[in-house]
This record gives sequence, structure tokens and C-alpha cells, in this order.
Amino acid sequence: MTIIVRRLWFFLITVWAALTLNFILPRMMPGSPTAALMARYKGRLNPAAINALQAAFGLRTHESLPQQYVDYLNNTIHGNFGLSVTFFPSKVSTVVLQALPWTLFLAGTTTIIAFVLGTFIGMVVAWRRGGVVDGVLTPGFVVLSTIPYFWLGLICIYVFSISHSWLPMGFGYDENSNISLSWSFIQQVAVHALLPALTIIITAIGGWILTMRNNMIGTLSEDYVRMARAKGLAPLRIMVLYAGRNAILPNLTGFAMALGFVVSGLLLTEMVFTYPGIGYLFLQAVDNEDYPLMQALFLFVTLTVLVAILLADVVNAVLDPRTRSRE
Amino acid sequence: MVGRFLTRLARGFHWRHLIPLALVLALAAGFGPASGASSSTSQVKMGGVVTIDNVSGSTWTCGFNPYTQAGSAGQAFSAGIMYEPLWYVNALNNNQRPWLATGYSWSRGNRRLTFTIRTGVKWSDGKPLTAADVAFTYNLLKKFKGLDLNALWTVLSSVSSSGNKVVINFKKPSVPFFYYIADQTFVLPQHIWSKIANPVTYNNPKPVGSGPFLLKSCSNQNIVYMRNPHYWDAPKPYISEVRYPAFLDNQPGNLYLAQGKANWGGQFIPNVKAYYLARDTKNRHIWYPPSTSNVQLYPNLTAWPTNILAVRKAISYALDRSQISKLGVYGYLPPANQTAIILPNYKGWYARGLANKFNYGYNPSKAISLLQAAGFKKGSDGIFRDNKGRKLSLSILNVGPFTDWVAEVQIIVKNLKAIGIDASAENVSGDTHTAREEQGHFQLTYDQPGGGPTPYYMYYQMLHSANTAPIGKSAPSNFERFRSGYVDGLLNSYSQTASSSRQHKIIRNIQRVMLLQVPVIPVLEGIYWFQYDTSQIVGWPTPSNPYATPPPYNYPDWAVVLTTVHRK
Repeated sequence: MTIIVRRLWFFLITVWAALTLNFILPRMMPGSPTAALMARYKGRLNPAAINALQAAFGLRTHESLPQQYVDYLNNTIHGNFGLSVTFFPSKVSTVVLQALPWTLFLAGTTTIIAFVLGTFIGMVVAWRRGGVVDGVLTPGFVVLSTIPYFWLGLICIYVFSISHSWLPMGFGYDENSNISLSWSFIQQVAVHALLPALTIIITAIGGWILTMRNNMIGTLSEDYVRMARAKGLAPLRIMVLYAGRNAILPNLTGFAMALGFVVSGLLLTEMVFTYPGIGYLFLQAVDNEDYPLMQALFLFVTLTVLVAILLADVVNAVLDPRTRSRE
Repeated sequence: MVGRFLTRLARGFHWRHLIPLALVLALAAGFGPASGASSSTSQVKMGGVVTIDNVSGSTWTCGFNPYTQAGSAGQAFSAGIMYEPLWYVNALNNNQRPWLATGYSWSRGNRRLTFTIRTGVKWSDGKPLTAADVAFTYNLLKKFKGLDLNALWTVLSSVSSSGNKVVINFKKPSVPFFYYIADQTFVLPQHIWSKIANPVTYNNPKPVGSGPFLLKSCSNQNIVYMRNPHYWDAPKPYISEVRYPAFLDNQPGNLYLAQGKANWGGQFIPNVKAYYLARDTKNRHIWYPPSTSNVQLYPNLTAWPTNILAVRKAISYALDRSQISKLGVYGYLPPANQTAIILPNYKGWYARGLANKFNYGYNPSKAISLLQAAGFKKGSDGIFRDNKGRKLSLSILNVGPFTDWVAEVQIIVKNLKAIGIDASAENVSGDTHTAREEQGHFQLTYDQPGGGPTPYYMYYQMLHSANTAPIGKSAPSNFERFRSGYVDGLLNSYSQTASSSRQHKIIRNIQRVMLLQVPVIPVLEGIYWFQYDTSQIVGWPTPSNPYATPPPYNYPDWAVVLTTVHRK
């Protein structure tokens, strides 16, 4: 139990450090939100508008940095992130909450599917290493995972949406219908997510296969596996419960981190498939020097990753007795 | 603007939309081809849908505050279409027509502007729109600086209403502000906005407006407008619905347009002939008219060597503008001329004889002889040096993410090297570019000023000393740091007169300054991107009937287009 308490302390300190970095880093960026906005509206915005914009964004505050820091911590604890500059005058929380479900749905499910499938395939190809399955699947998926995502996405759109109108080419749902909890809407969401999900899984699965295969080959040469074979246990049982269970441990931490990063969104997917989500928000926040939005997003990602790692530590402690033995 | 669309290069195609296509074919078979020009009202068919394709690079937040400019917010989705201005001024040709006002007059030596407000106009909640609403709107901009995007209250002193008249008093005569006051200010309902504590941060999710369209639905990926059945200018609008899907990237946006899912585009499409036009040569059209300002080189007039007139002239002669256009932007942007007058838009203002006399144009040998006459000598490396031995090297500040601008400046660099100037491009991020321009930390910078319905707006921004500042201080638009009492006087007297002939004379004199002193070097004319599909909807702006600036991203002009187009 002490290990978990120790981890919790460490977690809290990391959160504070992350919060502080999150405050400092955006303020060290050159430029200003108004300059970014003027740049974006080149030739269309009356130069006189800069005064109006500065007044609107509240950029003429003369608060000292320590005072800003205290306000920032206080607001963060209360979940008050202020108004976004990019989506002015929308609240940061509104903007983030609008994009978050799409990201959680698409990135979450694809990460889980890629991990489960990849781990399973990695286990099988390691069990039958050198065989036909290993010879085809392993290099095949590794090659697929190195394809530039943008290119793969466009090829998929070309094949599935243009040459054959099987799947829609973009958007999270049919662009002319409204969000509702009807069966037809859920169907739309599923159909629209198919192509993006497919491309993500194809490119992500190779990594899981490779690491699982390597771990598995290591454990397969362990004595307890040889012992299990000598006892005459069923091969399936040896593969899954003896070798697989131990080989998966290092992968679990990787999976926890991947889950944590799910909330940072899928920038390229969102751009290629015009899919709503957090990834593009990130890009826009940075492009537009949108400190409030940037702070909220970075904080959100950091917290999720930290929580995921904490959970992975706990799971590891439960699965692997060695991590508990230092007491 | 140009750059914003060009930065996202297009790459693909889009899927089919079979049912509307079948409908189109059926309709096209039944009715003969209609010209783009507006036909008489009796023949106009009601109904139909316009789908807009304009990549904004963000999803919608469903806010309709017509005084918010940032990101996907407010103004671009409500100005004109929901909240209307008093008077329409077409930036293409300065043609005007009444909107919420039925007339106006200048008095007291152009210090007072009086509008007569249209009667019988109703807000979409049924309450009448009155002169009090109009006065309220202007006074709201005074109270909340964050709303006053065109800095109206730098010249206004008071606004009041009585009966159906609105009286606007000026601190000093400022005739060109008419454009901002009448065309770029959007009337709000007092009974709603007076109750809003801070209209600057008000998102306005449920807009109550007077315009031709009402909000039907909005999600983060699409806005749908429906026809306002009680619009004051009935039977307009003729179409029943407007859809505005959100695209994050140019490539899916272009695909959508090419597949015929949208019929009104404001997109940069590489190789538009094969990609867009060829798929339906009968119904698909493009028109890229010049906009209101040039993409140009601003030389730093406070530092060697760009403070030397001969160097600036040599640069202007060295530029092969048609090649810059061809290789930089597929030839879509026409070459500019040294007077900065946009042709053909401002042809009535153009001092043709004067321009011909100076005869600026691609002439590298003339450029070289100008530099030689100014005392520059070529070194063994082929680069000019002055008599102190300083190498004539120039760095051009440019916006890295604007791929079209980067391509254009590459050719400019080549052109300058060809005459013996050691030129190079410095591509930086958009906000660094803006910041360094404003502070004056550059040798040459590539940028496009804002414009208006006459050349005055562009000249005022780039030449008036009110818009400049010493190096290290922020200059809003006169980045080159041009200061001339003569030009200030010309621009000031322009703003005091409503007489067209005097205005023309002033603009002519400014052109002479452009040719004599070369304070700025125009390179290409800015354009509007405009693609349209006549298979279902007709009545779009055309070169022969340029009734509005045609792209969907220009407001309030898009509302003029949307109230003119109709079903085929």
C-alpha cells in the first residue's frame, strides 16, 4: 500500500510542476494574440481594429506576474479558464467540451482496438515466429505503420469515398443533420468514424505488434515456459497465461500513456477527414497565441497522462509482485 | 486573405451526391440556360438551397455577435445576413444602394451626416426597427471600445435620433468614414442589446436580426440559415436555405466543391480548370476580380539602402510581375502597377497618361543603369556596391506559412539577383511578420494593406503619417515610415470633401508621388476567390453585372448575393 501512497505524493508534486510550467511557457512565446489575429486577417481588418481588439481581449491588464500566477492557480482549481481568443467570445470550457466527445470516441476506441489487436497479433506471431504468419504480418504491419498518415488518409478517401461511394469522405456526421440521440444519428456517427478509425488503427497497430512480439520472444525462452511445455500444458494456455501475461507488462505502461495522450487529439485525422476534435484546437490555440485555450488544453493533457501513469503504476503493482517487494 | 487560402494547398476529390445531381439534370433539361444577370422579379422562382464552401480553418462555435472578429466568431456569419447596415457600398466599383436607410445627406461642411431610416422594417421577434435602434448601435460602439472595429469614435462626436432620422456629428470632416459608418456597421435591436451587460464578450447564440435570413440550426460543423418570411424587401430572399459547413483544411473544402456538394465557393483551387471547371463546363464558372489593394513590397525608408530612391526605382523595374504571378499563383493574381491603382476596378481614378510617361514595367537594363547612375558599381561577384564598398544586399521579410507568398518572393529574389542586388527571403511566422513590420525591423517586407471602395483607403493606410511611427514603435499600416506633409495634406483634404472631381484630382496627385518617390512597390493585385455553380441557382455576380463583391467571405456583400440569387 505504501507504494501507492508514495506514488500519490509524487503525482501531486508533478501536477504542481506541470501547472507552473503551463503558466510560464505560453508567456515566453514571442508575439501577441492581437498580432496573430491581425496577421490572420491580412488586408481585411482595418488596422484601427487593433485598439478595439486589445480592449476586447482584456490585454491591457497591468497585473504583476506573481498576481497573475495566483489568479491562474485559483481559476484553474475552480475550472474557470476564461474566454478563448481564437473563438472569442466563447468560453474555453465550451470550446473544449464541444470537441472533447469526438476525440474521446474516435481516439479512445481506436487506441484500445489497436492495443488489443496489436498485442494479440504480436503474441501469436511470436509464438509462431519464423512461420508464414510472422513472415507476412510482422513486416506488413511495420511497413503500414511507416506510411505518412496524410497520404494514407487521402488514398483511403480516394478508394472508399470517390472511386466507390462506400463511405463518407469527412465530417463527424452528415453535415446537414443535427446532433441528436436518435438511432439514425448514431448510425451516421459510426459510418463517418469508420474510415478515420481504419486509417488510425492501420498506422498504430504495427508498433504494438513489434513490442509485444519482442517481449514475448524474451519470455518464451524463460524456464517457466519450458517447464510448462514439459508438463504438457495446452499450447494456447502456455501462450496466453504463461508467456503472454508476463510479456504484456511493459506494454501496459505504454498503453496507459497512449490512453493519456488520447485527449491531445488526432491533428492529421481531423484535418484530412474534417473531423471535429481537440487536435485542431491545439494547433489553432498555438497559432493564435490563445493563452487561455492553450493553458486549458495543456493542463488537460498533462493531467490525463499523469492520471493514466498513476493507474498503470497501480495495475503494475497488482500484476507484478516484484514492484511491491521493496518495502 | 489570399495567403490564408493559399496556405492550404488543395490535393484531392470528393464523393458524389446523387439525388441533387439528378434533380439538377431534370431542371436543366426543363428550362433553358439563364444568364447570370438578374432577371425580372415576375419570373423568379422561389426556393432552392445555396451551400457555401469557404475554408475558415476552424469549426463553428455558433456565436452570432456581428462585432466579434476573431476566429470563427460572429461577424462573418451574421453581418449583412442577419444584422444589416444602413447603406450598401460595393467595394468593386463604389456603386451604392440604400439598405436600412432610404437616404442620407451631408451638412455643416461635411461635419454632419443625416440618415433617413426605412420604415416598416421589423426585427425577427416582431418588434419594429427604428431610428432609435440605429443611434443605440453607434452609441454602443462608443461605450464599448472592443466593438468599435473601425475606430468610428476617433472622428465622431455624437449620434442621436429623432423620428425616422439619425444625426451623426463629426469632430472633423471625415467623408471616407461614410464607408465604415454606413456599410460596415450593423444595426442591433436596442430592446435586446441594451440588456446585455458586456456586449463585447456576448456570444449571441440566438440572434434576433432584421436581415434576409434567420438561424435554423447550428452545430460545430454546419450552420443552416432559413429564409426570413417577414423580410422587409419581400419577395427577397428567393432561396429558402443557406448552408455553411465548416472545413479545417483547403483540400477537403475543395473536394466538396468539386464534387458539386456546394454551389458557392470562395476557395483557392490549384489548377481550377481541370479540378473544378472541367467536371461540368456548362454550369461551373469562376470569376476572380481584383480586390481593393495590392500585395506589395514595403521598403524601409529610414535605412540604407532602401532609403535611396534609385534603389527603390531599380527594384520596381527589376520585377517581372507577370512571371511572379504565373509561377507564384498560377497566374490568378494580375500584375500590379507602380501607381498602386487596382485595374480595372479603379480605372476611373487611374492617371494613365502619367503612368505611361514614367513607364514602369519589367526593364532590367533600366534598373541596372539607374543603380550605376546613383554611384553603385558591380563587384567581381556581379553584386553592386556603393562608393564605400557596402554590398547592395537586401532581405525580404515574408510570411512562411503563406506558401503563395513564399513562391512569389522566390521569383522576386531571382529578379533582384539578376540586376545585381544580393536579395534573400526571410520567411517568418505570421505574427512575427506583423510585429516586425509594425516595429520597422526589416529592409523590405511583403504584405497587403486593407482597402475600400476607392483608392483613398489603401493610400491612407500605406502613406498617411498618422499610420506610421518611429522605428521601434508600433506603426499600424504605414510600415515603410513614409512621411510627407504634402501627401498628408492631400489625404486630409480628400477626407473633407464629398466632391468627386476634387477627390479624383487628389488621387491623381498621390499617384504622381507613387511614381516619383516609390514609397511602396506594388507587385500583384489582390483578388477575390469566387466559384459558382449555375445548375440549380442562378443570378450570381458576373463581370457584366458586378452587383456585389462575389466571395462568400465578404460582408455585408454576401447578403446582397444571397438576396439576389434564385432557383433556375
